[in-house]
Order: sequence, then C-alpha cells, then structure tokens
Amino acid sequence: MNQQRIFRFFISLFLMLFLVDGNAQEEDQEIEQDSTLYKTNYGLRLGADISKPVRGLLQDFYSGFELVGDYRISKKWYVATELGVEEQTSNEDFTNSTSKGQYIRLGMNYNTYDNWLDMNNEIYMGFRYGFALFEQTLNSYSINTGDTTFDTVVIDNPVTVDGLTAHWTEFVIGLKAEVYDNVFIGISGSYKIMISVDDPANFKTHFAPGFNRVYASNTGFGFNYTISYLIPFKKK
Amino acid sequence: MKKYLFLLLLTVIIVGGCEKDDFCIDEITPNLILRFYDFDNQTTSLTVSDLTIWPEGRDTIVNGQALDSIALPLDVNSAQTVYNLSTGSIVDQLVIDYTTNEIFVSRSCGFKAEFTDVLATPTTNWILSIDQTTTTIEDESAAHIQIFH
Repeated sequence: MNQQRIFRFFISLFLMLFLVDGNAQEEDQEIEQDSTLYKTNYGLRLGADISKPVRGLLQDFYSGFELVGDYRISKKWYVATELGVEEQTSNEDFTNSTSKGQYIRLGMNYNTYDNWLDMNNEIYMGFRYGFALFEQTLNSYSINTGDTTFDTVVIDNPVTVDGLTAHWTEFVIGLKAEVYDNVFIGISGSYKIMISVDDPANFKTHFAPGFNRVYASNTGFGFNYTISYLIPFKKK
Repeated sequence: MKKYLFLLLLTVIIVGGCEKDDFCIDEITPNLILRFYDFDNQTTSLTVSDLTIWPEGRDTIVNGQALDSIALPLDVNSAQTVYNLSTGSIVDQLVIDYTTNEIFVSRSCGFKAEFTDVLATPTTNWILSIDQTTTTIEDESAAHIQIFH
C-alpha cells in the first residue's frame, strides 16, 4: 500500500512537471506578441487558515490555528511560511492518545500560472521544511490479546511525554485567487515526508502538529484553506 | 483545461490522504502452547482423547476433543492463570504464574503482552509430569510446556 502511494506521488509529480513545461512555452510566445507591461503588487501577504478553527468546532477531538504568510521575491517565486498550534486526540482500537504543540513550516512557492493583464492569481507548487515541538499523552490503552476468554481491562492512567520534536519536508500544490483588492483566498494540499520524529518510550507518535497523522510509512497529508491580505510594498 | 488537471491532482492527493493503515497484521499477545506426549516414550507425541479445558471460573475453551496440542490465552491483567484440563471425568489443574510486560506494536495493533518468569505447576491425576521448555513466552513458534500422560 505504501509503495502504491509512492508511485502515485511520483506520477503526480511528473504530470505537474508537464504542466510547468507547457506554461513556459506559451510564455515565450506571448512576450513576442505583446510588448505592453502590466505591473502587479509585490509585498508581504499575511493570513490565516480558516479550515482549522472550523474543524475545531465540528470535531471535538481536534483544535488548531494557523497563520500563513508569504513574501514575493520575483515574478514567479515567493518565500512562504506557516505557523500554528494544533491539538488532536487519536482514538485507535487499543489506544487513545493526544498530541499537542506548535509548528513552523518554511519554504518557497513557484507560481506556474500566467496572469492576464494585471491580475495577480496563482497556481503554485512549493516545498517546505517543517518543524514541530509537541507533547503526547497516552490517555488510556488496553492490551491486544486477540481473544475474549478473559476480560479486556482499559488501563486509564495518562502518561505525558513532552519535548518531542519532528522534522519533515513537504511538497505543496495550491491556488490563490485575488477576490478583492489585495484580499486573497487560497486552497492547497500537501504531501509530507518525515525526516525524523521522536516517539515516546514504548509508544509511537500518532499525530504531529503541522504534520497531521503520521502514517506507518512516516508520510502525511495536509490541507489548507486560507484568507490573506497583501500589504503592497511596490508595484513592478 | 490545465486548471482542471491541476484540480484533479489536488483531489487525488487529498483523497489519498484518507487512506487508512488500520489493519493489524503484526504479532500480538502470544498464547501458551501445550503439547501432549507419551509418558513412557517421552519423544512421542500422544493425543489426549475427550479433552476438555476451561480456565477457572470461566467458559469452556475446548470441549471433549482429541488433541495433541493446544494454544491457551493467559490473563494479561493477572499474574496467575489457572486452567482445568480433564480427560473423561479425571480433572487436573495447571497453575501458571508469570510477569506480564506490555510492549507497543503499532497504531492498529496497540500494545501486546509478553510473559516472563513463567512457572507452571500441575496437579498429577491424569497428567503424570510436565517439562517447561522456556520461562518466557514471546511468540508461538514452539510449545512452551510439554505434558506427559
């Protein structure tokens, strides 16, 4: 199953590379045909992920908040970051554990979309480095005997391990659309690959803030829905 | 068109994220394996006819079967499990004392138990003697206790 996911990832990546290639060719043609220059805003864009508070309201095992920001450094490239706090309870068949902590993700976005006129929208690909500092509490567990001869006893004696860290990399694809002047809505998805994560002794990290569920293959998936405001510094 | 392709990829990645790795395929708590041998010829396996087994105070696990070996669960929340083994109307008791160690396996399997300092003590009515081959029960690859009858 893991291998299948890895294949799927690389197939997706290949298809995305085709996309970039196609765009690049069109760009060259347009420059020949049209000599008018349209300027767009450069600046610091700040916002928040609104999906996390909504999830927190709908799901009682989750709470989280994330601030997002990016800074445009060239026509196509943006430096991007996300900062947040998250708490999630993982209720499994034999264990119940809660992870809680903060995270930062830092990286770059590359805009593959050719804007018409002075529009400032994005279809981007990006990468991130992520770091989380968190604690995990094993709330309760029962021993898996695979048998019902004897009673199953749930051991309800919470044990917290703090100072856990996680490092990972992410590949991001997303959209950003300017809906009003300098106001953007964005949607993005990410595929995460863990570099290293601390596990509590004789247990495992089931959820890392910013990384989400840690799958058995040490990979993860993320999703963002953001509203952000661009503080324009200059036009070029 | 490109935009739709992009959205399609996004959807694939998001939906892919909902896959579960929730099937427990690892080894969990091992059972105690008993194997029955001929007392007079101790290398020969000997079937017990009309074997009935029940843990003290609980439901019968085996009822009147002919078996040459059996895997029995141990109570992970106690330091002792008592089994009654009968053939016909003759009953013997096998008392097993042990220490339970909890070991984390995986998200889907949770914790399993392994047993150390295992000590089995039988009564000897139809069971004539036992030979405990190990004091730790970590897997089910071989019999842990040989019973001679």
